Amino acid sequence: MRYLLALILIVPALAQQPEPPAKPDAQAAAAPAKTESPAPAKTESPAPSAAEDWLTGSVDFGYRWVTDAGNFQAYRSVVNLGQGPKLTGLDFTIQDPKKRLFDRLDARANGWGGDPYSTAHVDARKLGVYDFSFDYRNIAYFNALPSYSNPLAPAGFDEQAFDTRRRNTSFNLDLRPGKQIIPYLAFDRNSGYGHGIDTWVQDSNDEFAVPTLLRDSTNNYRGGVRMEWCNCVHITLEVGGTTFKDDDLASYGGTNYGDRTSSLLGQTLVLNSLQQAYGIRGSSIYTKALATARPFSWLNLYGQFLYSEPKVDVHYTDSATGNFALLSSLLFYSGQQNLGTGTANQPHTSGNAGFELRPFRRLRIIESWMTDRYHDAASPVAFPPATITGGLSTTPPVVTGLFFLDTPPNYSQAVNYNQQQTDVLFDLTSKLTLRGGYRYVWGDATVLAGQLSQSGPMASGQLSRNVGLAGLTFRPSQKFSVNLDYEGASSDRIYFRSSLNDYYKLRARARYQLAASLMLQANFQVLNNQNPAAAIQYNFGSRDNSLAVYWTPAGGKRITLMGEYDRSSLSSSIDYLGLFLSPAVSYYRENAHTASSTIDIALPGYAGLTPKLTAGGSLFISSGTRPSRYYQPLMRLSLPLRKRVSWNTEWKYYGYGEQFYLYEGFRAHVFMTGLRLTK
Amino acid sequence: MIALFRPVENARGAMLLAMAALFTAALWGAQDRPGAPAPPPAPTQPAEYVGSQACQLCHEDIFNAFQKNPHQLVETGNKHGWATRACESCHGPGSKHADSASAADIRQPAKLKPADADKICLTCHLNQPTHVGRINSGHARNQVSCTACHSIHANGPNGLVARKPADINKLCAGCHADVWASFQRPYKHRLPEGAMSCVDCHNPHGSFLPRSIQTVSANEPGCFKCHGDKAGPFTYEHPPVRLEGCTACHQPHGSANPRMLTRHEVRFVCLECHSNLPTPTPAPTLGTVPPAIHDLRSPRFQNCNLCHQKVHGSYVSRDFLK
Repeated sequence: MRYLLALILIVPALAQQPEPPAKPDAQAAAAPAKTESPAPAKTESPAPSAAEDWLTGSVDFGYRWVTDAGNFQAYRSVVNLGQGPKLTGLDFTIQDPKKRLFDRLDARANGWGGDPYSTAHVDARKLGVYDFSFDYRNIAYFNALPSYSNPLAPAGFDEQAFDTRRRNTSFNLDLRPGKQIIPYLAFDRNSGYGHGIDTWVQDSNDEFAVPTLLRDSTNNYRGGVRMEWCNCVHITLEVGGTTFKDDDLASYGGTNYGDRTSSLLGQTLVLNSLQQAYGIRGSSIYTKALATARPFSWLNLYGQFLYSEPKVDVHYTDSATGNFALLSSLLFYSGQQNLGTGTANQPHTSGNAGFELRPFRRLRIIESWMTDRYHDAASPVAFPPATITGGLSTTPPVVTGLFFLDTPPNYSQAVNYNQQQTDVLFDLTSKLTLRGGYRYVWGDATVLAGQLSQSGPMASGQLSRNVGLAGLTFRPSQKFSVNLDYEGASSDRIYFRSSLNDYYKLRARARYQLAASLMLQANFQVLNNQNPAAAIQYNFGSRDNSLAVYWTPAGGKRITLMGEYDRSSLSSSIDYLGLFLSPAVSYYRENAHTASSTIDIALPGYAGLTPKLTAGGSLFISSGTRPSRYYQPLMRLSLPLRKRVSWNTEWKYYGYGEQFYLYEGFRAHVFMTGLRLTK
Repeated sequence: MIALFRPVENARGAMLLAMAALFTAALWGAQDRPGAPAPPPAPTQPAEYVGSQACQLCHEDIFNAFQKNPHQLVETGNKHGWATRACESCHGPGSKHADSASAADIRQPAKLKPADADKICLTCHLNQPTHVGRINSGHARNQVSCTACHSIHANGPNGLVARKPADINKLCAGCHADVWASFQRPYKHRLPEGAMSCVDCHNPHGSFLPRSIQTVSANEPGCFKCHGDKAGPFTYEHPPVRLEGCTACHQPHGSANPRMLTRHEVRFVCLECHSNLPTPTPAPTLGTVPPAIHDLRSPRFQNCNLCHQKVHGSYVSRDFLK
């Protein structure tokens, strides 16, 4: 196949005539780069005129009411909008006429006042001196669904629930932007904090729902320099590092019978107290180099190399009292303590390189290689000692110095991934581009095998996949375009039973400007994946069809309509081991309709002001294995009160229902009214 | 048609077909075809540069807006050698157009085929870090030109492209309507609410990861930018997280299943891999068989992550219990 590919690449090249001399246009375009044009008087970016405001922007604020029915926890898991005063939007730009600290500053904020997603963003720049950006997001993660817990257990209804917030903060500073050498610094912080309900698992006999405090944070520091020469070479060198910590805690005091609803050998298992603490500390440094070059007008090169070596140190302890059992020795006992330490070190090397070759005007050849390797060297967490004290059985045992070493002393997970891809694009005409290509993906992995593995402590997997690529882009006119993309693959080796094996993907996309005010767009996508191997029998198929309409009569002065409809279907079946390891087939079906629309109508105006009405929303209806319905209609009215003040009112409804999990449905009306001030 | 879609013993067949088509096309395109339109006659006198001031005479609105445009640097700086001729840096020399006022006498990037339009932009923008992955990007391969997203003459706080999450999402959804439909499902990332945007996870200029996924710090998938607690390295890794990525179990755009899972119940997500009987296939797959103590009739065992709760990787338990 590769020889054929090479032949195909070479023959057209030989068939082509020599490249004609550069057109005058191209020559002229190249000229300024070579000739020293008289340097113009250096002008600063234009200052705002006297008539122009140095401050422009808007602020939206108001009050929100929420009325809900049904499962409030499910509402919070899906929507989570709260009631009360809100700052829904803030957006302003400052242009300093004297250009002291900055030329221009843009800031925006959304969703403040207890909303589940609060964001803030600031961009500031001073021409040729710096570019600065700051981004902050505070996103609530709430999930408390009985279908993900064990609702039949006495205290299991909230298992696996969590109510946390993740905060992301980013700073980015580029110095001397637009110059040949641009140093930059950046800092990112990602942290999570909140509460949840986890389970404390005791020797597979019982698990106890316990409250947890979830705390983790990752800081990333990086700095580097971007260098660019003569418009034809660029190199970026970056050095960075991360620090990580995870201090999750679980504690409990009381009487907790866990998920086990029956006694064990006549005894009731119970947890009376628990103190569990994770102390995970991690750090990493990495070095990254990027380069792009255009040594000739017909050749682009790029490459990237990265090396990192993250590592973590683990300190773990738990201490529990109650009535527990150790089935392997038929031992009942009243307390246990575990201490654990461990480390993991993961050298990670990745690199990629490629080129785009344009031997002739109509032909482009794109070649890319990629390799990614990491090696996770882990020292296992041992538990010396796991101390068991104070039995409740007739002859109370007191056992100390019991060691659990459930893995080899050291193990390493090694993963190699490689990819090579060639694409050939040919402009058959100025309106039709054909594309063909080939991708070969290969790799291997050695991982820690499961406890029940019969092949030893380690397991190996391999990946080998040949992928054929084809596509075309057809643009017969400015009004109409079609894009087709096909990918078909045959795999000799795959990692997992449900991995892509023998598959094809086809995607078609078309746009048509039916009239000046009406545009249609259609998408079609299909994926079919098969693994006919015995004991797997995997059949996966998905289809997605969508149609979108955009209607803006009279340039959208009075009405703007956007409507989308999507029909998707997914079917999957695979052999698996079900009840007591008996063979069974896992079926999953989903047939879904999704529609969304928005219509904006400019209402008759008054005193030079134009109110605006927006209506629309979305619906999702699915049938199949987990039938569900989700409606989100909305209506919004914006009434200008004065030139710079408008009164906005919005109503939105959220309705969610499931056929098999009725108790997870909810209905909520969210009503908000407020003002928008602009300057 | 059905045969065409039959998985590809067929990949090779399809590839051959595509290559043969390209081969034929290349040969055809390389020849001077009698029926093909003749190339435009070489101008007797090439057009010359006239400077942006000349453009201003007729295109004052664009000229004025351009004063606050990020590309104004081209007009005022000398880094790229186009000082005072920013308009012509993209549109080519304008003397003939200035004389005739005919649109045919000036280069109009919007009407060029995407690859040619991109070439103009990339004259200056290729050698930048954002474009390191461009060659691999689906947009480049599918002839989506820079101007499909960037409005070159536009001005305002957004500059040449949408900056606010809601605007970015609207722009992307303009083509990816099928993807946007996924975000109307109950369990999804918060894009419709404007808390996130498509470019938080995807780099539209391209990435060396599939689907133009953003990378963070040490080239990790962009998911770890927000979900840093799942990044590890763990003392006990769960291999699919590294080998297949988050999408092995999650539908990142949106799902009808809680926690954006690919299946309606947790056990099916797990058991589809963890039923790994010895198979006569050419190579074994990874994944073990759960012990028979798991009574799948009981809700206690139907949600595997009730006990195996550290399923993304564990620091202390080989079975992901802690």
